[in-house]
Amino acid sequence: MLDWQVIIHYFPFLVKGALITLEISVISLILGLAAGLVAALCILSTNPFLHWPGRFYVWIIRSTPLLVQLFIIYFGLPQFGISLNPFWSGVLALALNTGAYNAETIRGGILAVPKGQQEASRSLGMSKVLTMRRIVLPQAMRLIIPPLGNNFVILIKDTSLVSTITLVELTLTAQRLIGSTYKPFEMYLMAAVLYAILTTCAALLLGQVERRTTWGHV
Amino acid sequence: MNATKILSKNEEPMIILHNLRKSFGNNEVLKGINLEVARSEVLVLIGPSGSGKSTLLRCVNNLESPTGGEVTVDGERVNRTDLKPRAFQKHINRVRTHMGMVFQHFNLFPHKTVLENILEAPTQVLHRNPEEIIAEALELLDKVGLAEKKDSYPVQLSGGQQQRVAIARALAMRPSVMLFDEVTSALDPELVGEVLLVMEGLAAEGMTMIVVTHEMGFAERVANRVVFMAEGQIVEEGVPKEIFSNPREERTKRFLADVLK
Repeated sequence: MLDWQVIIHYFPFLVKGALITLEISVISLILGLAAGLVAALCILSTNPFLHWPGRFYVWIIRSTPLLVQLFIIYFGLPQFGISLNPFWSGVLALALNTGAYNAETIRGGILAVPKGQQEASRSLGMSKVLTMRRIVLPQAMRLIIPPLGNNFVILIKDTSLVSTITLVELTLTAQRLIGSTYKPFEMYLMAAVLYAILTTCAALLLGQVERRTTWGHV
Repeated sequence: MNATKILSKNEEPMIILHNLRKSFGNNEVLKGINLEVARSEVLVLIGPSGSGKSTLLRCVNNLESPTGGEVTVDGERVNRTDLKPRAFQKHINRVRTHMGMVFQHFNLFPHKTVLENILEAPTQVLHRNPEEIIAEALELLDKVGLAEKKDSYPVQLSGGQQQRVAIARALAMRPSVMLFDEVTSALDPELVGEVLLVMEGLAAEGMTMIVVTHEMGFAERVANRVVFMAEGQIVEEGVPKEIFSNPREERTKRFLADVLK
């Protein structure tokens, strides 16, 4: 049977952990979007000094586990004099990780915008940069939003890995409370519910953005 | 002296193609084209598919960069080979502002309204004052008969309406040359007329136009000169009457027999 008293008593502590999770998610999400966009544009560039670093970044991130990336940043980098606290180590690892997946998503969206759009824009005298910013990217966004939402949800759940480097976010809060209450089911259940709330909110928010890009489509 | 200068400037052709060549890999699509288009001339390019007429048109504004030869528009060399990539981009962006192009598939910007489509390049490229340009854009929309559609999105318009907006969008840059690339080929038959009508009006105003088309009736009515191309070369050219009723070349006769059947 569920111990409701434990749930009611400890719920506020878990919400506090969830706020840390939310914070690290939002910061990583924004940085990861920026990283993804830059990497996508690099990969699409014909300049080899941009193209290959972009490809390498996506390849190395996608072919290694996030947990190992996190450990390299938190435990490995201090060897070279770069010490980040658990929070910023987590942000860095998560942003780099989700950025690589975003890069592929964004690249796909850009490539899916019909070639004729660029031709029309260039024929009007618009530069490559202007064409990308004003014509291609806004249209790509419409295609990118659903798969990007997927990446966001994965990112929020992946923040639980940051508990392994002692950042007291939602998962680690639950673990610590289990140490004093011996109620693992209740604690992990509450954590799960809070994760579900966070991811659902993210999905709903993105749905709103998606509805703003209908451009006359019904 | 001033007068002679103006005269000589007016006599100089608007578009000069000199020994224009274009290859895609090993496939030579344009095999040394020489062609001049006078100011205010309406030149219609006809020919079987794959003859290179669209490629020729796209070489004029460098959407395809020629493999060889020279393209000169309004006295300015378009395909400059002396510039480094960055400088060439700057050059070509500027040159293109003088040339309007209309495409087979309209290519309106779907995320922008009709009015925004027209305002985009004049405000973003020429940095023109929005208030002044809005009045002008509405005038252009009126000219193509779509003033009441200014706040519609492209997806809400018929093909013919979209194509007329595309023409207005190109005209908003005040180009001295208009390039039409099979602009009625993707339209339902009953919508072709409204687009051709707009083009006819433009021709009557003295716009210099190169028109790639399969509309032989339009060519006959509006063209000052018809050029027949096949296999990357100009086979025959002349006034419409000549070409349509009395073609000299066997290849032209065969093509006309096929399309007018």
